[in-house]
Amino acid sequence: MSWTGNPGSSKITLGLILRLSPLMLPFVVLFCGGVFLTVCQSLGIFTPLRHTGGLVDAYAVILSDPSFFASAGFSFGVALASAAGSVTAATFLAYRVWQLPNALAGAALVYKIPLILPHIAVAFVVLIFWSQSGILSSLAWHLGLIQSMPDFPNVLYSGWGLGMILAYTLKGTPFAMLLILALLVRFDVRQIQTAAMLGASKRRIFFSIVLPRLAPAMHTSFIILFLYSFGAFDIPYILSESRPGMLSLHVFDLYFKHDLARRPEAMAILTLMFCFAVLFIIAYSRTVTHLETGVRKL
Amino acid sequence: MNKFRFMSLLLILMLPAFFTMFLPARVTGGTLIDTPFDRIEAQARGSRVNWYMYGGWTHVNTWVDTFVAKEMKQRYDIHVKRVPMDAGVFINKLLNEKAAGKTTGTIDLVWINGENFKNAKETGLLFGPFAGHLPSVRQYVDPDSITHDFGFPVDGFEAPFGRAQFVFEYDTDRTDTVPDTVAALKQWIMDNPGQFTYPQPPDFTGSAFIRHIFYAVTGGHGQYMAGWNPDLYEKNAPLLWDWLNQVKPFLWQKGRTHPKDSAFLDTLFARGEVAFSMSYHPPHAQNMIMEGSYPDTVRTFALKDGSIFNTHFTAIAFNAPNKAGAMVLADFLVSVDAQVSKFQPENWGDFPVLDMNRLTSKDRQRFETVDLGPATLTPDQLAAVAVPEIPAQYLEALEQDWKTHVLDR
Repeated sequence: MSWTGNPGSSKITLGLILRLSPLMLPFVVLFCGGVFLTVCQSLGIFTPLRHTGGLVDAYAVILSDPSFFASAGFSFGVALASAAGSVTAATFLAYRVWQLPNALAGAALVYKIPLILPHIAVAFVVLIFWSQSGILSSLAWHLGLIQSMPDFPNVLYSGWGLGMILAYTLKGTPFAMLLILALLVRFDVRQIQTAAMLGASKRRIFFSIVLPRLAPAMHTSFIILFLYSFGAFDIPYILSESRPGMLSLHVFDLYFKHDLARRPEAMAILTLMFCFAVLFIIAYSRTVTHLETGVRKL
Repeated sequence: MNKFRFMSLLLILMLPAFFTMFLPARVTGGTLIDTPFDRIEAQARGSRVNWYMYGGWTHVNTWVDTFVAKEMKQRYDIHVKRVPMDAGVFINKLLNEKAAGKTTGTIDLVWINGENFKNAKETGLLFGPFAGHLPSVRQYVDPDSITHDFGFPVDGFEAPFGRAQFVFEYDTDRTDTVPDTVAALKQWIMDNPGQFTYPQPPDFTGSAFIRHIFYAVTGGHGQYMAGWNPDLYEKNAPLLWDWLNQVKPFLWQKGRTHPKDSAFLDTLFARGEVAFSMSYHPPHAQNMIMEGSYPDTVRTFALKDGSIFNTHFTAIAFNAPNKAGAMVLADFLVSVDAQVSKFQPENWGDFPVLDMNRLTSKDRQRFETVDLGPATLTPDQLAAVAVPEIPAQYLEALEQDWKTHVLDR
């Protein structure tokens, strides 16, 4: 692919666009149109109120605000912890489920339950169970483990986003399991049997034979879960603390609850988040490729 | 492949869609304003009105779906369809419709006030002026009471609907004496760590709470009524931040986190995590008792330093498909029948916008005999401490700076 092109290609390009248009049009209009409009509004173009400042004013305001970086770092941490937690738990559980005897395999399908619950429902489950006036707290009180409400560990408001991480992990684990199990189903058991016959330990089998085969599903689910929890709004709306807040909540407030004159700021944050997501995918895939070329293929 | 050309071709194909944004707003049907109201009623007969409004209160939804819908059908043969949507969301919907050049939309009437009204009016999303053309508004409403909405001129682009005033809620079973001034509240918070919090501005209720403190610690509301004065704001705002930061370590969760909205605070209060809740709606506690969400020992109080009131309104979208029907509904909502029904706590308990001196003694009596319930303060008690809302620019500045000076500090 080159950016300069040759003179003869323009006809083909036009024909190709026309033939692809039924597929391309919804994508171009909805997705690219949305991104284009977001970027424009972040620069103060096409805004609902006439923008009087300079092109990059909104970016200057955001990038000079230390709380933006605190929020961005916090969102990054929560997304990283919940995606890594989900993928780790899912790999382990999927491997276990796969090893179950056939009689129990049906029962193991319960892992899919959180998949059908909406994110917001999972957020409420976490809130109802883990808040200081919640189910676990009153259970502990009835059992005599705590004397009063404040004795219960302050899980939801610890400053570490534990409530959100808990909810995202609950929701993300079965999703990652689904992808990993799909690979495991096609896995050739004879490889494990051979390794065992040759004297490999269980740990060795898992790390040297199974894990490399699961890696593609693990990477894919990690990226999807990471980017989702980085930008999603529903779980933070229920479980996030005020400080440091998640970026998505900050954007929501700016977009819906503040003066329209601040629209460019909301859009600038969205643009930065989008750029970050793209860069993250590129960096992550490069790192993975780099690591994998160093590994001896089985 | 020539990727650059490909992309630029796509962009060029897309551009026309964005140019529609520069199209001037259509001049909205001035003729309807000149039409006698009985002709408008006749025109609206048999039509449907889509009323977009906040949908978070079950009892309000029920009142609209039963009383309002039934009466509108009977009196005017108009079908009222309630669509639940937050004001911020329908404003963005209208903005998008306007940008796309959609001259016939889906929204007829909206329930609106404050910054949302300012945003909508400034961007030409509203039809009007129409309020002065409604017979009920002309007959029963004191025109001086509806000239401004959060300090922003109304100019007849919205019709009054109800009146709200800020109160605190507490449980007599748990709290014996309540702090009735801002100074006493501060002392109470410091004496009872972890028992008080307020919703996080820019939440509507939390934002109103900090405005009460702003008025109280800077010498009253009067100085702000003349409109936005940045120097005055710069001089006075630090007093508010000091007050809020002094109580911050004694708040629920040590002030590190706040409930996101008043519903969240209500839950904390109902579960006993905090001692007070607050509402911009005087009958809210009574409604919650009737719903069974609060124990019936809950009562309300207002601070002697002042309790902010505001008027909420209805407005018509610039591209409303049924402007005549929307006007008939807006007019019906200001009628004595609708305002009395709305005032009854079993329906809603929202305070009337009518000037009692303009009513016949019989109509006035209909309001006076309404039993507000034990948890709601009487109109006289509320009127004694009522102070007006601050102009919207102050509100926006306070919400924005609260984050920097209080939350992130």
